[in-house]
Amino acid sequence: MRESFFNGLYEVMKKDERVILLSSDTGFGVMSHIREEFPDRWYNVGIAEQNMIGMAAGLALCGKIVYVYAICPFVTLRCIEQIRVDVCIQNLNVNMVGVGAGYDYGTLGATHHACEDIASMRLMPNMTILNASDSVSAQSFAELSYDTPGPVYVRFERYAGDDLYDKKQAFLGGLSTLKSGDGGTVIISGGKLVHKALEVAENLLEHQIGATVIDLYRIKPLNVELLLRILCRVKNVVTIEEHSIVGGLGSSIAELIVDTGLECSVKRIALPDAFLREYGDRECLHELVGLDVKTMTSQILVWLRNIHGEDV
Amino acid sequence: MKESKIAFLEEKALWVRQQVLEMCLAAGAGHIAPAFSCADILTLLYYGDIVRVDPRNRTWEDRDRFILSKGQACAGLYPILADLGFFPVEDLVNYCQNGSYLGGHTESKVPGVETLTGSLGHGLSIGLGMALAAKMDKRDYYTFVLLGDGSLQEGSNWEAVMAAQKYELDNLIAIVDRNNLQALDFTTNSIDPGDLAKPFEAFGWDVYQADGHSFEEMDIVFDMATQNRDGRPTVIIAHTTKGKGVSFMENDPKWHFRIPKGDEITQARKELKI
Repeated sequence: MRESFFNGLYEVMKKDERVILLSSDTGFGVMSHIREEFPDRWYNVGIAEQNMIGMAAGLALCGKIVYVYAICPFVTLRCIEQIRVDVCIQNLNVNMVGVGAGYDYGTLGATHHACEDIASMRLMPNMTILNASDSVSAQSFAELSYDTPGPVYVRFERYAGDDLYDKKQAFLGGLSTLKSGDGGTVIISGGKLVHKALEVAENLLEHQIGATVIDLYRIKPLNVELLLRILCRVKNVVTIEEHSIVGGLGSSIAELIVDTGLECSVKRIALPDAFLREYGDRECLHELVGLDVKTMTSQILVWLRNIHGEDV
Repeated sequence: MKESKIAFLEEKALWVRQQVLEMCLAAGAGHIAPAFSCADILTLLYYGDIVRVDPRNRTWEDRDRFILSKGQACAGLYPILADLGFFPVEDLVNYCQNGSYLGGHTESKVPGVETLTGSLGHGLSIGLGMALAAKMDKRDYYTFVLLGDGSLQEGSNWEAVMAAQKYELDNLIAIVDRNNLQALDFTTNSIDPGDLAKPFEAFGWDVYQADGHSFEEMDIVFDMATQNRDGRPTVIIAHTTKGKGVSFMENDPKWHFRIPKGDEITQARKELKI
């Protein structure tokens, strides 16, 4: 997925010489073409994320459009005050690009897990958040972030699963319906978990539940109008995300539902509000916290029975 | 430096200090002593033909960039920007007043201000980006960043110090307002940065030192710094006295954020010839 994003960014850099890429010693092999073709617009600024964001702000104040790249927690949390003060308050064209959503770097431990990045970036006024679910969206987000004024946080994985989108997809609406259901239940997901959400929906079909599956690839700002048009017709809303249950996609949807007085019930499935001190590959860690397809399907079925007494 | 120029700068610096005092008295807020500490530096930069800006052409791409990283001293900068014509001098009375665009830390909504500061340790990295942009665009403007010595306790400064030599930013000039005081106490009673020349030299910077209240000395080192395009960034360590200009505020930790009252006001006005 990171290769796809940097292929997209390569095209952006080809057409606009104001675009600069700063890396805090991250991205071996995935941006070689950018380094070779634009050596005066690519900088390894060292393992110093606070300085990287400040530099980016200074460059942006002089008319540059700046991309900064690191692993998700380091490009958001390590330098969060620089993002807030230097970039967001002044609404500058600085794009924070993070690799390693959720437990993508599972074997590297809790320091490298990205569980609080979306919540932190959601807190920032002026910020746009794009969460890629496949290689097509990742590549398109290079162009989309370039076209979006002000700060953007782009979150993606190291490796993509199967493509979910046609290459002509424009990604302007903030969300896409990937699977249409019977109107009773909608699953809203984002990032790589969208693939699992689709599998969950398939499993639910065996229980006569035809869930709609939505990829909410733009978490901020929400496309409120489109979401309300969808949500006003459903009874059950399930959110699935690889981020802390505090402050992420699910919180965002729950806040929207509460604030607009919609009467649908909400079930949020996410990472627990806890640090995971276990090591393993992503699937192993997902099973530990209940983000595997089987457990999520069961959770949803139990929840539906409890709230509606549905015969499922 | 000609005596007439020194006299002109002294007159301007006195006027700046007078404005700082009256603005802060009217507001009952603001950082007087930090502004007094760097009032002479700011005066030389803007009235001494060092920072090249044009109030009639604020977006002039070749203008020099100045960043007040110790944003709490903005009460010293705002009178200068107003006097130069960036915004009406009459607006200074609104400093820190309800609804004003002039607040207690440097705000980039204020005409003439390049970037917002307030939280410490941010300005040098931003300045580094601006200086790098000048190199990329082959423009010959300078970026000046005024730092407090206490604020050098923020580690992010040192990330920037380490990075600047890598990019051969001889168009970046940092100035340290070395008054040996911070908000609570003398720097030596906290985490003192010590002989600042050494770490800057170790990271590949050219280092100059001057009396931060001597226009003559500072003019010489700024001239040397701007002439010296050797591929190395420059720091000017300006030795200053916090609260300079009002005797009872000088070199006393309690005046970092304090506003004079009663007889103190009378005394301060007398010393500043108000």
